[in-house]
Amino acid sequence: MTLSGYEALFFWIFALGAIFAGLLTVMARNAVHSALFLISSLVSVAALFVLARAEFIAGVQILVYVGGVMVLFLFVIMLVNVGAEERGRDEIFNNQRQVAASLIFCLLLVGGVLYSVNKGYRGLQEHDKTTPEAVAAQEASRDQSLPKTATLTSRRTKDSERLAGSLYRYASLPFEIASVLLLVAIIGSVMLARTLRQEASADDVDPEVLKEEMVRDPELARLEPQSE
Amino acid sequence: MLKYIWLVPLLPLIGAAINGLLGRKLRFSEKLIGGIAVGSVALSFLISVAAVYSYGFGGHAEWPKPYLTSQDGFSFNWIPGGAVSVNQGGRARMEAEAAKQLQEQLAAMTPEERSRHGTITGTFVADTPRYALLNIDWSYQLDPLSSIFMLIVTGVGLCIFVFATGYMHGETGFYRFFAYMGLFMFAMLVLVMGSNFLMMFVGWEGVGLCSYLLIGYYFDRPEAANASRKAFITNRIGDFGFALAIFGVIATFGSAQYVDVFNQAKSYPIELLGHWGVLSWIALGLFIGACGKSAQLPLHVWLPDAMAGPTPVSALIHAATMVTAGLYMVTRTNVIFQHSQTMLLVVALIGAATAIFAATIGITQNDIKKVLAYSTVSQLGFMFMACGVGAFVIGIFHVMTHAFFKALMFLGAGSVIHGMHHEQDMRRMGGLKKYMPYTYWTFMAGWLAICGIIPFSGFWSKDEILWQAASTTHIPLGWLIWLIGTIAATCTAFYMTRLMAMTFWGKERFLEGAGGEADEAHASAYDKGLAPHDALRPSAGDRPRHEPGEHVGPVYEDVAHHVATHGHADEDGGHTHGAHVPHESPPSMWVPLAVLALLAIIGGFVGIGPAFRSVTGSEHPGGRLHIVNWLNPIIWNPVTGDFNAPEGAEHAAPVAETPAPPAESAQGEASASVYGNTGYNLAHSVESSTHSELGTEWIFIIISLVVAGTGMLLGAYFYLWRPKLAGIWAQRLRPLYVASYNKYWVDEFYGAVVTRRTMDLARAVYAFDSKVVDGIVNGLATLSRVFSRIVGAFDKYFVDGLVNTIAAFIMRLMSPLFRAAQTGFTQNYALVMVLGLMVAVALFFMRDILSAIR
Amino acid sequence: MIMHNLIPTFAFLFQEGLRSKAELMRESAAHPDLSKFLVIGALLFIIGVAGVLTRRNIIVIFMSIELILNAANLNFIAFSRYLSTTGSPNAVAGQIFTVFVIVVAAAEAAIGLGIVIALYRNKETIWVDEIDLLKW
Repeated sequence: MTLSGYEALFFWIFALGAIFAGLLTVMARNAVHSALFLISSLVSVAALFVLARAEFIAGVQILVYVGGVMVLFLFVIMLVNVGAEERGRDEIFNNQRQVAASLIFCLLLVGGVLYSVNKGYRGLQEHDKTTPEAVAAQEASRDQSLPKTATLTSRRTKDSERLAGSLYRYASLPFEIASVLLLVAIIGSVMLARTLRQEASADDVDPEVLKEEMVRDPELARLEPQSE
Repeated sequence: MLKYIWLVPLLPLIGAAINGLLGRKLRFSEKLIGGIAVGSVALSFLISVAAVYSYGFGGHAEWPKPYLTSQDGFSFNWIPGGAVSVNQGGRARMEAEAAKQLQEQLAAMTPEERSRHGTITGTFVADTPRYALLNIDWSYQLDPLSSIFMLIVTGVGLCIFVFATGYMHGETGFYRFFAYMGLFMFAMLVLVMGSNFLMMFVGWEGVGLCSYLLIGYYFDRPEAANASRKAFITNRIGDFGFALAIFGVIATFGSAQYVDVFNQAKSYPIELLGHWGVLSWIALGLFIGACGKSAQLPLHVWLPDAMAGPTPVSALIHAATMVTAGLYMVTRTNVIFQHSQTMLLVVALIGAATAIFAATIGITQNDIKKVLAYSTVSQLGFMFMACGVGAFVIGIFHVMTHAFFKALMFLGAGSVIHGMHHEQDMRRMGGLKKYMPYTYWTFMAGWLAICGIIPFSGFWSKDEILWQAASTTHIPLGWLIWLIGTIAATCTAFYMTRLMAMTFWGKERFLEGAGGEADEAHASAYDKGLAPHDALRPSAGDRPRHEPGEHVGPVYEDVAHHVATHGHADEDGGHTHGAHVPHESPPSMWVPLAVLALLAIIGGFVGIGPAFRSVTGSEHPGGRLHIVNWLNPIIWNPVTGDFNAPEGAEHAAPVAETPAPPAESAQGEASASVYGNTGYNLAHSVESSTHSELGTEWIFIIISLVVAGTGMLLGAYFYLWRPKLAGIWAQRLRPLYVASYNKYWVDEFYGAVVTRRTMDLARAVYAFDSKVVDGIVNGLATLSRVFSRIVGAFDKYFVDGLVNTIAAFIMRLMSPLFRAAQTGFTQNYALVMVLGLMVAVALFFMRDILSAIR
Repeated sequence: MIMHNLIPTFAFLFQEGLRSKAELMRESAAHPDLSKFLVIGALLFIIGVAGVLTRRNIIVIFMSIELILNAANLNFIAFSRYLSTTGSPNAVAGQIFTVFVIVVAAAEAAIGLGIVIALYRNKETIWVDEIDLLKW
């Protein structure tokens, strides 16, 4: 799977970009900055996906992850965080002991990862006897069989086709379960985010809690339950 | 129709079940309840008639063989086979003893006699196995004896049921009454139709139960409840003996079916007087049962008290059917009884003693039902006398005729009581002849029958009993039995005439004031300011519950006093104070009386005695219809050693006088030789002086008619023509009068000796149980509690203390450490999670790490 | 000891000759292989973990979690590509895994942010160290 040529260049651009954006995500003071840096990190990773010939996943990443999840993040930041940001004086990192301990653990993790990659590298190399050029040639020849895209500059890949074939044939049950999971998440999030007023008007509050809350918020008493 | 005799007991049971279970729930009307009850009994009666007809007189008549439904009809394998060991050892002993007896007899006879004597000693059924399979079937047996009882029970029962629908009118427990009566019919029919001893026992117990239920029908009255308990318990004592006898039967013969038992028993040797063997034991147990059920001395005490039940109950159960169950049982097992001369003597003596005992008590009683009750006991004594002297057929004949006239008289008494508004004291009746004509004329038929006036039914049976007693060769002391029986017959005629005189003839006393125990009870209640039905002294008689304000009972002289006390005049329609004029009963009550009267008049003709053979042409005229011929197949003949064959009796040619004596005497001597020398024989001695068999018989007939007439005349004299004389003679014979009036203090004696001593024993045992046994148990419990307290204290102070100390120490040591880990700070937890993740990964690569280190 | 094994990774740094070193470096860099993907993924992962453990703002913690998940996805895809080139029949399993990871991440983000909002309503704060109800 060795990349070469322009692919290698773009790999390095996007990889370093992703790491840099990730670093800044963690270190930015402003939460909105953090979100935007995360978005760029995600987009870079999507580009890496493309380089790894997983075009469908790249598209899904951008559409779902960036377009859905990160937008949601931004909404919530706006809902929750705005007041905090205006002050701009608070600490963004935890106490020193916590930070120190985390950094130690992270360095250990880094060490471990590098070690294992190093160890495995030999094995990978032995396994992968082919030279990059041969692989590239192989890939090119394989690509020839594919039809061209509309702009006639590149070939259509079979990635979506392959993924769909396996997903719906062999992973259909997890697929359905995942859909149920999403349903549950929807219901759960709606439920979790209800205000007391909304709950009271739907007659879903414990009477004693309602009494307590009515002391603080007299308007609750005026709410009629919407369902009999 | 023979196949359907199993319906005969079942139909009354179904009727009883419907009435009992649904009668109150669905609120049946009286008509419906009565209709169901009477209808079921009527159907049973019709089926019985048809069955008996086809058994004895139809095309393929089975008579004289008994017909068992287990052959081709209903049979239910009630108790399947189990091993029973037959008493082989005892049989060997009997065999040896019988042989010895025979040797003695043969040695005592002259050579001529010896040649004439037949060998009748025990030819044992040698192939009876040592172990038998006891297989009890629930099947019905129709044979001459059970057919007679079936007809009596269902026929007389039908009349009584019809009567009861009228008598019990207005009762709230109407349905209950007929349910119990139907149940009684079922039990009685099972008793008489059963094919084995166990079914008879079931029926025996069933009728005892129904007697209890029905005597205690007015359960709110203490005397009825006491009487029903007394009846049941006394019965039970008899049942104990009966049960032992059944066990003996099963152990000895290996079966309980009649056909098996009697076929085996007939070949046993006869146990003469003084020789007591296994058959005597069995007969003793059976007779104890009969004493209990048929109210013989000493277990007769329940029958007079049983008059606390409603009159139809007294008529059905305590006159016609239940009390005759003892007779049925004795006749059914006549094989066994005839094998034991001692028991025959016992039966005859007790029967005679009961007869005279009860007759003397009946002379002084004032309650009309009590008189009839003692009369029943006395007549039952007569029947047992007949069985005791060997004339079982005549005993059954007397059962039949007694059922007719006694039921008639009880129902008539019920009619009288009903008409007199539940007044039972004869001293307050009199002259009812013109107010209750139907009752009067039917009662008269019964009176004539019981006194033994020719040609009414009672004459034929009673006279034959006395003749058989005089001429018996089964037991010694036949003359004594005859004498006692004659005296008892005189007393019977006397007190029955007394009853007639006090009730129907003479001065009308029901308008007069005082007198009578009921009146005394009510008077004492008034003195205390209570209402009549709160009378403190219990009154006799089956007085039903009555509504407040309704006056049931005697008339009061002082109307004003009564009104002042109660504050109101009587509202009974038409029956005001001062004139409780008796009235005739409705047709539902007198029609059965008429039927029974007809039977009482003509019922005796099935048993015309041999004394009339010149008129009728044969000793027992009527062929199969004559009761002696009909029952012969089930009576064991000691001379031939077998059950009588019908041919010998049926084709009895008119016997000329001259050959008769030798043949009779030969037979008599033959049977005399079977039972040994039975001492002085009255009939023989009379005959030896008249030299005429017929003449002897006629002499006895005349004697019994004369004594009956004497009794009647005396009764009329004392109670009709010179009523004051009765009181004067009572004073003169005061000790006798008092003894008779107090029933010879038998109840008091039993109370003091038996009842109270049993209760004392019970109290002693209770004291022991509650103080000693319970004391021990309670003591152990207390001990356990003390012990548990000690252990508890140890546990609480020592063990718990130790645990608490250690726990507290650990807690004080460790809790700050643990608390420090609970920071509540989520990222601390996340840090720990990451640490754990690293440890897990390291563990995964542990081998490589270790090899890298080394 | 450990350094012994780390050394070969950076061994090229100590090779004689800067040139050969630079060449080797250029060589390995010019043809990024599976190991490079894995290292990138690992670094992203570590950055994410550091962010989760270090930051006070709850939203930023969530975003770091998303980084972690993303790094895992990158790993999956890298291996999927690798396996498809070495001819394993199950190469596409990596991409399938990725699909599910994305699904779960989306659901989790939704729920988590709902919780954050509810928490904010009750506690009026987004600083994690101020939410210590479980203390002791």
